[in-house]
Amino acid sequence: MRPAAGLIGTLLLLLILITGACGSGEEAQGRKRIVVLSPEVAEIVAALGGAGLMVGVTQECDYPPELAGIEKVGNFGAVSKEAILALKPDLVFSSALEQEALATDLAKMGLSVTQIYPQKLDDLPRVVLEIGNLIGKPAEAKAMADSLSSGIAALRAQTAGLDRPKVYLEIYRDPLMSVSDASFVGEVIETAGGDNIFSELERDYARVSPEAVVQARPDIIICYSRDSLDSILARKGWQDIPALRDRRVYFESDLDPDLIQQATPRTLEGLRNLHRLIYPGGE
Amino acid sequence: MTRGRVFALLLGVAGVLIVAFYLFGGGPDANIVTELRLPRLILTVFTGMALAGIGSVYQLMLANPLAEPYILGISSGSAFGAILFGVLGLTLLMPLGGFIGAVATLLLVWRLAQKKGSFDRSRLLIAGVIAGMFFAAGISLVMYLFQQDTMIILGTLMGNLGHIFTRGEWSFFLVLMGFSLLILAWLWFRAPALDIMSGGDVYAGSVGINVSRVRKEIFFLTSLLIGITVSYAGIIGFVGLIIPHVVRFFVPSGQKRVYLWSLAAGGIFLLLGDLIAKNIAAIELPVGVITAAVGCPFFVWLMLRK
Repeated sequence: MRPAAGLIGTLLLLLILITGACGSGEEAQGRKRIVVLSPEVAEIVAALGGAGLMVGVTQECDYPPELAGIEKVGNFGAVSKEAILALKPDLVFSSALEQEALATDLAKMGLSVTQIYPQKLDDLPRVVLEIGNLIGKPAEAKAMADSLSSGIAALRAQTAGLDRPKVYLEIYRDPLMSVSDASFVGEVIETAGGDNIFSELERDYARVSPEAVVQARPDIIICYSRDSLDSILARKGWQDIPALRDRRVYFESDLDPDLIQQATPRTLEGLRNLHRLIYPGGE
Repeated sequence: MTRGRVFALLLGVAGVLIVAFYLFGGGPDANIVTELRLPRLILTVFTGMALAGIGSVYQLMLANPLAEPYILGISSGSAFGAILFGVLGLTLLMPLGGFIGAVATLLLVWRLAQKKGSFDRSRLLIAGVIAGMFFAAGISLVMYLFQQDTMIILGTLMGNLGHIFTRGEWSFFLVLMGFSLLILAWLWFRAPALDIMSGGDVYAGSVGINVSRVRKEIFFLTSLLIGITVSYAGIIGFVGLIIPHVVRFFVPSGQKRVYLWSLAAGGIFLLLGDLIAKNIAAIELPVGVITAAVGCPFFVWLMLRK
């Protein structure tokens, strides 16, 4: 059976080549190899002094700038499993939403996957501690978690009992979309002393009607929908909104969206910046 | 003609009720009625009219009961243009992108439909379907690459009548709509020619109709109309396909009358669809989903009744 023998020979040769290729990778010594798939976690890991541990991140992980040199394994919704495997990580941090199924797949492939998806402000210190323990920086994590907790508590105390201006956050223009209090950024607005006009929506991020915005008469508009002040001022029927009359419309240049939309160590900075926008007079 | 009378009466009563609810439901401020609801009503009625009217014209011109305004691929091209502008951050210019997409597609499809210098009906259909598929693939690609903009894309693909107008945009839209109404009127004057052409090109030619020219004019002008509707309202399925058929149940013959009633029924039907889409759930549902969900059972009932 010469063809069969040839086939078996080829297969054997292939097998040897493959095992050889696999064996040639160098063994990581001591240092953990971490792949991070969400910008929030990448920022926390870096802030804990673990930037050097990350061997792979996604396109969206762009803060701090030192992440730029780390290999990219795809973008948030389209991650290459092969690229992750090739990095031989000891630990993978994934997020929720689109990454839910991916996390299951990676776990099936034998990787150690931890899902981190802080949805509440109070999750943040807990998540920092969890990450710190996993990457071997528990002391740094403890310090950061404490400062976050006390910072948030201080702000809550500061805004308690104050008159809350109504805030409308626009994340999309066509169709109009805003956030509910159940979203992370919604909670940030409330904590910074604002009153989110859409406290309850069907989903955390949902369509809203222009009518509802006009009727709610927000005092402050935060516009992340790439629209301009002139264009918002010219929207039909919006002229009576107090925020437009008083020109209290803020854009990405006034308040970095990453600071209030993502749960990171910079959230505290975002909270304080937003607080200053809501209460420009100091208190 | 009692059937036609009943239809007219039903449509008139329904129209008045729907318009009243649409504008004044929930007792809003005068500012909201005039500045927000009225513009939306105008956009909705116009879109429904244009879609149903074009549907009735295409079904006759292409001798195909399945023909609808989107069958020639113009809508996909238009949606692709609008979406591309949207994901590139030019949200204000999305209607312009939609219009450019529509014109580019119409030129391409028209070119493909020519065979040795003369127009070929089946080639036009094939070219339209191919162009539609091509741009649908383009939309899928953009959707995959720009996942953070899914809402813009879905809004265009599933219909979104909640376009936010600035004052400048609104004036521009009114100009476009005036132009569109002229096209709709022109299509009405073309109805007798279409009736004759449905009897065959040779016959139509023998009674003095310049068949290829009429077809070319209809194709270009309706494509512009579709470009305008998709640019502002996205792709809203079903209206253009079913409304003309429903109208023919009640008004069996004569494109002139079928067309006119299609305009009226299309506008009122889409208004009803949008009214439901806005109010049935706590969040606004895509109007395209509602038109199909409401229209399909009605059409089935109509077919069974016959």
